[in-house]
Amino acid sequence: MTAGSCVRAAAAALLFTAVSAAARAPAADGQGASNALAREILSQLIAINTTDSPRGNVTTAAEAMAQRLRTAGFPADDVHILGPSDRKKNLVVRLRGAGQHKPVLLIGHLDVVEARREDWSTDPFQLVEKDGDFYGRGTLDMKGPDAIMLASLIRLKQEGFRPARDIILALTADEEGGGANGVQWLLEHHRELVDAQFVLSGDDYSVLTENGQPLFFKLVASEKVYADFQLRVTNKGGHSSEPVPDNAIYTLTRGLDRLAAWEFPFELNAVTREYYRRLAEIESPQRAADMRAILRDPPDGQALARLSEDAQDRSITRTTCVATRLEAGHANNALPQRAEAVVNCRILPGHSPEEVRQRLVQVLADPAITVRYLASDGTLLAEAPANRGFAPPPLAPEVLAPLDQLVAETWPRLKVIPAMAAGASDATYTSAAGLPTYTFSPLTVDPNDDRAHGRDERIGVASFYQATEFFYRYLRRLTAS
Amino acid sequence: MPLCTLRFAVATLFTTLMAGAALAADRSGAAADAAADRLAHEVFGQLIGINTTDSAGNVTTAAEAMAQRFLAAGFPAADVVVAGPEERKKNLVVRLRGTGKHRPVLLIGHLDVVEARREDWSTDPFQLVEKDGYFYGRGVLDMKSGDAIMVAALLRLKQEGYRGSRDIILALTADEEGGCCNGVEWLVRNHRPLIDAEFALNHDGVVGYSITSDHGVPQQFALSATEKMYGDYQLTVTNRGGHSSLPRPDNAIYELAAALLNINRYTFPFELNDITRGYFERMATVGRGQTAADMRAITRTPPDGEAMARLARDPELNSMMRTTCVATRLEGGHANNALAQRAQAVVNCRILPGHSKEEVRQELMRVLNDPAITVRYVADDGAISDTAPEQRALPPSPLLPQVVEPLERTTAAIWPGLPVVPFMNASATDGIYTRAAGIPTYGVAGIAVDRDDVRAHGRDERVRVASFYTGNAFFYRYLRALTAQ
Repeated sequence: MTAGSCVRAAAAALLFTAVSAAARAPAADGQGASNALAREILSQLIAINTTDSPRGNVTTAAEAMAQRLRTAGFPADDVHILGPSDRKKNLVVRLRGAGQHKPVLLIGHLDVVEARREDWSTDPFQLVEKDGDFYGRGTLDMKGPDAIMLASLIRLKQEGFRPARDIILALTADEEGGGANGVQWLLEHHRELVDAQFVLSGDDYSVLTENGQPLFFKLVASEKVYADFQLRVTNKGGHSSEPVPDNAIYTLTRGLDRLAAWEFPFELNAVTREYYRRLAEIESPQRAADMRAILRDPPDGQALARLSEDAQDRSITRTTCVATRLEAGHANNALPQRAEAVVNCRILPGHSPEEVRQRLVQVLADPAITVRYLASDGTLLAEAPANRGFAPPPLAPEVLAPLDQLVAETWPRLKVIPAMAAGASDATYTSAAGLPTYTFSPLTVDPNDDRAHGRDERIGVASFYQATEFFYRYLRRLTAS
Repeated sequence: MPLCTLRFAVATLFTTLMAGAALAADRSGAAADAAADRLAHEVFGQLIGINTTDSAGNVTTAAEAMAQRFLAAGFPAADVVVAGPEERKKNLVVRLRGTGKHRPVLLIGHLDVVEARREDWSTDPFQLVEKDGYFYGRGVLDMKSGDAIMVAALLRLKQEGYRGSRDIILALTADEEGGCCNGVEWLVRNHRPLIDAEFALNHDGVVGYSITSDHGVPQQFALSATEKMYGDYQLTVTNRGGHSSLPRPDNAIYELAAALLNINRYTFPFELNDITRGYFERMATVGRGQTAADMRAITRTPPDGEAMARLARDPELNSMMRTTCVATRLEGGHANNALAQRAQAVVNCRILPGHSKEEVRQELMRVLNDPAITVRYVADDGAISDTAPEQRALPPSPLLPQVVEPLERTTAAIWPGLPVVPFMNASATDGIYTRAAGIPTYGVAGIAVDRDDVRAHGRDERVRVASFYTGNAFFYRYLRALTAQ
């Protein structure tokens, strides 16, 4: 975190105070106390190892948070610890409101990916503040956002705030892998506890910067569906001294060559249309013109081709499939008896993995190449799931309007840009359950220094406090009426 | 089995008739042959029963068991040497002394076998099993049958008090199938006087057999006088990788795939040497129809392109007329959801005599025409280097009359009408070490194997019972013919 952004954060804080003076003002010392609380929670969460490995325990973290909530005055009946695995229980808490509308559900996962002390500059399971950053496994993904959501809820409770609708917070297990003990399990077994009109997930940072300059505020409102496929060719093999035309490796590589040249068709949905509509207002002239041109009916082919040179735009405008792994042969001096590839696809909402599998079969155009669905647990299935990704409904004004407003107040030049994520987060489950889901966390991150899942994961200290305040205010506005 | 026995009896009869004069000194042809077969079978069974794999096996045990037999048969201890740098991998060198009129002939055969797992096999691979006219076991083809036949021949000649015109040296060795350097290579380097010879006969000429048969009927006798050189190359494409949700045009896997397709489309130039030219000329005279005409057409100058293309459809003939390279392994990527940072392939080449591994590496790079793809050499021990050895594959051994004429006489006696054709091995044998030492080397093995049933290195390796015994009779007679004058 640079000195410049500290100044910016301080300025933003100032702005908050000025702007919201007219509203039912939260006390300035409330903000200070809230920051201290958020930091304390973050520090506690980082120190509890919640990896999938045997040393990790999500339940410990869920119970520690439950303890805080009860201490803060939440009735025991509204604080639930539950889950099918002893080590992986979820926390569900409800801040009761006036009941004018159906609740809003906030979700955040407590589990983190593995981190080895020897790979890191600091102990990944200790919150370390250094040169303006918080370091630790999960600071970004996503114990930082967890702490922000939890601190906001406690602050609202302590202020005696009565929202127009219940605010439910679910802190969960198994987002990073490990099974289905988290959001998926809650939806299946305790729908009543988490049922809501819409869902806010904190599982992505929103203020994207480049060279220290904020670009836009990203609101994820749709997700692609993640799917792996295995390509396999078998052959009787033989001595490599007498090569024959029918060769498993060449059959596979011919298929991959065709796949490399193939593009899925261009397609936009409610979210990606809004994405380009809003992005066109802040982009460079050529790109802005191209974005407007692909929004027309029919879309402009040349504009699309230019945009598609950017991997990000290419992935937003179509389903993508790419070969990510190869394996073939068993000895240098034997013709291969088997050649395999893994193809990873990110499927546009509204399409099913099975539809994509059949398309792959068509593109590979060789019956010698079998295409099977590779489930996340490694099982191979002749056919892929036929359920279609949840096509996003138009953006809900009650979610978007307060966000537009608050972003404009906080970062006067920033726009909220609705976006589609490349998949796959827990929003997949809530969306599939019919709960429109919006993902954002008001943290400021340079995507080129995104250390989620990596070494020395970190978030800016000032950004963390700014996001804590932002999220608290957003919850207030969201549930004001 | 009865059919095979009959065929063998006929063959024996032939031999007796044709070689009657030479065999006059024998006590009694048929009885001696039967005893020789019993002996060969006994040795064969003993060798199969000794595990000589690189992993759990012990070549020394086999070498010593054979040494025991030679000592018991009256070979002087000084002429039976068990030697080698490694406890588990010693070689046996035995000498049957002759009159010394000519320099010795060296017989080589490797005792080690490739791995075999009991659960993959229908029978115990380390037990000689006779079933439905076949012998089963690891090494029945490659090449304990040949070892047993050579041992039995030497024992028989000794018992007969035979004294040839040259010493016959037999070296049974380690590390042909892998492992390193304890076998023929070590003997040549460290005990040259022990194995020095005018020429060498390798019973491993073509994976343990010389005769290609169809449904048990011999078609040709291959006299292997040269072999291709083995070379592995590693192709590597690297990339900065990234999230698989954002595929880019630059992709290590796709670049490797395109490169491999270039290699697949490429054919190395047509090239004949004395041996392969002799092969096609000889095959043309015994064959018929289009194939024979095509063989003739490619030996002309300039060779006929269409004939070449037609013949090249046969993988064996194709391998005789050019260097071949084929992708045998692939590896790429590290996670399903990440763009590959590296993709690699192994390309296995069989290089014509007269060319070097580095020359082939350069040619592969020229074919790939993509500086982003590195082509490195993979040595036998797995070491990878940026360039390959410059050494050229050895030229063919000249077809010496003192080797070829007795061979033609002996085969004519046992398999009348069977053509003897000069042959180039597509795979490597220990012959490279003796040839490199300046000893002309020929692959000669009178065992017939059906062209569609070659199980060397594979599961349920087998050889026809009749083929083994005929091969046994052949080799004894060939040794006599070879050392008669």
